[in-house]
Amino acid sequence: MKINKLMLGTTSLVAMSLLAACGNSGDEGASEGSSDELSVWVMGDGNEVTQPLFDSFTEETGIDVNAQSIPWSAVHDRLLTAVASGEGPDVVQMGSTYMAEFVDAGALMDITEYVEGSDEISPDNFFEGNVETTVFDENYYAVPWYTETRALYYRTDLLEEAGYPEGPATWDELSDAAMKLSERGDNYYGFTIPINEQTFGPMFAKQNGSPIIDDEGNAVMNEPEFVEAIEYLNGFIESGASPSQDLGIEISQSFGGEGINPMFISGPWMITAIQDQTTDIEGKWAVRTLPEGPVSNVSNTGGANLAVWNNSDNPEEAVQLIEHLTSTDSMLTYYENSSSLPARMSTWDEEPFQDENVAVFGEQLENSEHMPVIEEWDRVSQAYISSFEQIIVGGADVQETLDNLNQEVQTMID
Amino acid sequence: MKSKKAPYFFIAPAIGLLLTFSIFPIILALVISFTDMSLAGLADYSRINFTGFQNYQNILQDSIFLKSITNTLFYVIFGVPLVILFSLTIAILINMGRSRYFSFMRVVFYSPSITNIVAVAIVWAFLFNPSQSIGLINRVIGMVGIGPIGWLTDTSVSKISLVILAVWRSIGINMLIFSAALQNIPRSMYEAAELDGATKWEQIRFITVPQLKFSTSFVTITTIIGWLQFFEEPFVMTEGGPLNSTTSVALFIYRNGFQNNQFGYAAAGSLLLFVVIICATLVQLRLQRRAD
Amino acid sequence: MINIDKKLKITIGVVLGLWGLITVIPFVWMILSAFKTNPEIVAAQPNLLPNEWTLDNFRELFQRLNFDVYLLNTVIITVLGFVGLLLNAMAGFAFAHYEFKFKNFLFVLVLATMMIPGQVTMIPVYLLLNQLGLTNTYLGIVLPGLTGAFGIFLFRQFFSSISEEFFEAARLDGASDFYVFFRVALPLSKPIIAVQGILTFIGGWNSFLWPLIIANDQRFYTLSVGLQLLQGQHGTNYALQMAGAAFMVVPILIIFIIFQKYILTGFNISGGK
Repeated sequence: MKINKLMLGTTSLVAMSLLAACGNSGDEGASEGSSDELSVWVMGDGNEVTQPLFDSFTEETGIDVNAQSIPWSAVHDRLLTAVASGEGPDVVQMGSTYMAEFVDAGALMDITEYVEGSDEISPDNFFEGNVETTVFDENYYAVPWYTETRALYYRTDLLEEAGYPEGPATWDELSDAAMKLSERGDNYYGFTIPINEQTFGPMFAKQNGSPIIDDEGNAVMNEPEFVEAIEYLNGFIESGASPSQDLGIEISQSFGGEGINPMFISGPWMITAIQDQTTDIEGKWAVRTLPEGPVSNVSNTGGANLAVWNNSDNPEEAVQLIEHLTSTDSMLTYYENSSSLPARMSTWDEEPFQDENVAVFGEQLENSEHMPVIEEWDRVSQAYISSFEQIIVGGADVQETLDNLNQEVQTMID
Repeated sequence: MKSKKAPYFFIAPAIGLLLTFSIFPIILALVISFTDMSLAGLADYSRINFTGFQNYQNILQDSIFLKSITNTLFYVIFGVPLVILFSLTIAILINMGRSRYFSFMRVVFYSPSITNIVAVAIVWAFLFNPSQSIGLINRVIGMVGIGPIGWLTDTSVSKISLVILAVWRSIGINMLIFSAALQNIPRSMYEAAELDGATKWEQIRFITVPQLKFSTSFVTITTIIGWLQFFEEPFVMTEGGPLNSTTSVALFIYRNGFQNNQFGYAAAGSLLLFVVIICATLVQLRLQRRAD
Repeated sequence: MINIDKKLKITIGVVLGLWGLITVIPFVWMILSAFKTNPEIVAAQPNLLPNEWTLDNFRELFQRLNFDVYLLNTVIITVLGFVGLLLNAMAGFAFAHYEFKFKNFLFVLVLATMMIPGQVTMIPVYLLLNQLGLTNTYLGIVLPGLTGAFGIFLFRQFFSSISEEFFEAARLDGASDFYVFFRVALPLSKPIIAVQGILTFIGGWNSFLWPLIIANDQRFYTLSVGLQLLQGQHGTNYALQMAGAAFMVVPILIIFIIFQKYILTGFNISGGK
């Protein structure tokens, strides 16, 4: 019997090592030459969007770039495994909300000396809201690439009927206009409250003066500033000016045609979506900066940065590539290919950004902040969504729910 | 003569692979479940702290985890019998004909299982759409004056919607297993029964069903295990919402592990789920043995 | 099979037809949507049939994505997956027809692996493959899922239903264990091989996570990864995704129709058919 056990052990061992051997021989071809080429991870389908930028880099410098596109649905999974094995690319596109956790995990390289020593990627060139997401303990870990912010989309024809041809300019006007528009009949609404949008409620809270998490690291999500903002939003649901459920319809169905939902807040990507999908309302819609709240009309900014992976063998070349990608020329090409807004301020002087609707986002960007850049933010915002859902869908008491939320968030931060 | 070494040779490769890629990871998960491992810990093992049973204590007080358990039980209780009943019925009905039409029907019932989940998610989002003008299901039931129903947005129906979707997807493969087994039943048995004057129903009841004992127990066990690990449907359709009404245990684990980076916490959840599945399978095996 | 008269057969045919129609609607919808433009898919009043048939989606699919590379990878991974099928059959046969030490323990172990929630194993398995130097290889993509409890279980269940004497007869003629397995047992299990073969094929064909995690190079991506790449960060071109999904489903359909014959040919121990 002992012999049999031994045999079992050896057979499996032999099998494993054989398999491993096959693997190694196949591996050689793939990893060959990785030292003199830069590997880059971009999110989403980069074949068309980013490849031209890498091609022009190779042309200029002679450095080859091996770009890998990661599907959006698996970005976090892929980054996790890269952290686990320590084997990442040289340059990686980092969503601004991911920055804190991956910097904390030591996955990204401190590139302060490069950032401070370069005119090209100096922080002064980029929107402040975006630069904030690259700084941790006064060190720089990334360079802003593209940015986004939220503004108000509205149907000019319908808003004119409601008495606001320029769109609502304040919170009061917004609720008044929404109310009037929802009175058009059953199944008509005025304003969309996206229940699953992580930044929606916190953004309104900021407009009401709430820091969400104060300087001492205390959550203040049950203080009057935050509570009032949520109550303001809940008012839309209670008065029937907003649907209490996700209607599950596309923008062409809600915003186009009769305009079931004639006002919503969203990012710049919606411009092309509306142009492509709802040809029936051409010239009947516009974008404006967010309505002014009691304190401000600050919007939420996001986007992505470019960072160097911690154990990159070619940090110099990696930074060189980042400089290339964040140059005005590259940013223009990138905008044309992907409609992503440049984080470099000077690029906004160029022609495409003089378009009326796009310019609104430029204007709003000057008054945009990022959500708190802490590593727990993802969990915090998920907890917020679940509380917001309880209030909006479940009809829970606002103060009580937010008291619970605040406590939960506080334990996360501590 | 049977060689004594032969069985070891036969099982060695499969067992070796399973040990490496399943047993070893679950043992690792057991260790992780007693730590506070996070993303930082993954990068630098010195940042992992041993926390004892803290994760288990916390998770058993986590209202969302408890809710995900009730949801998962709902899925199992309704999903499993429906899948077995439907796939068995369809397999038997299809097996009654020999023409092209009947084998074409097998392709038809199999089509849901081969449709890529990306397409499934898109199509069913349209089918389940709450609006009466867009959602096909609501449009149809609207004709007879019912609805509209918020299939994925109403907390009281969302679980049922996912069960419908998952049953639709899993009939195909189980029907196929039953079909394969039906080939195994000798025609002579039916002929003998018919000579004795048995009706069609009696033939199904007393020949087909008992003869399918092995496959039925197989399908039952794998289906129960599959539904206890219910993940894909809520993941692509609802992300567990609204109000966590569709969050399954597996989805809860995924969210905590891969989105929130709380690997210790997620591992504790996985281990609990693992134990529950083992218990459920043992109970099921015991029941079947008793029925024999 | 049960003998039935014509009238009953027609009734059954009609019942199956109606049930099948409901079942197949989403599938048909997917196929038809592949020929629509995106604005038409998201139109306020969607129709089942395209207003205007277009092949642009397929054209764009091949121009935009390296679908030829992905296709080749998918085929390689699928073919490699069939090695696992053989390993499963071997193990299932041993568990059904041999007595050996720790047999029950090992079988329970096999079953237990089926119960492990898939989410836990990802990172450990990745680290392991990384240690073995298998990242960026086809082998690394296939290996974790090569054998599975489901398959072993199904084969064991099947082989148990065949009486021992059947194999004894061959052994009495002096055949070796391997001869018995490859020449007697394996051919008998055609229906199960067919079922498993289809599953293996679909598994390989739709494999998404490992090709993505293991690859450090887009050259190892599969069709399924390509399909996911089509998903935008904000808003998605449904038409393109539907075309991709429809394109991917065709080979599976063909394979299924071929394998179905084997399920039906089956076998019959008592000989009479």
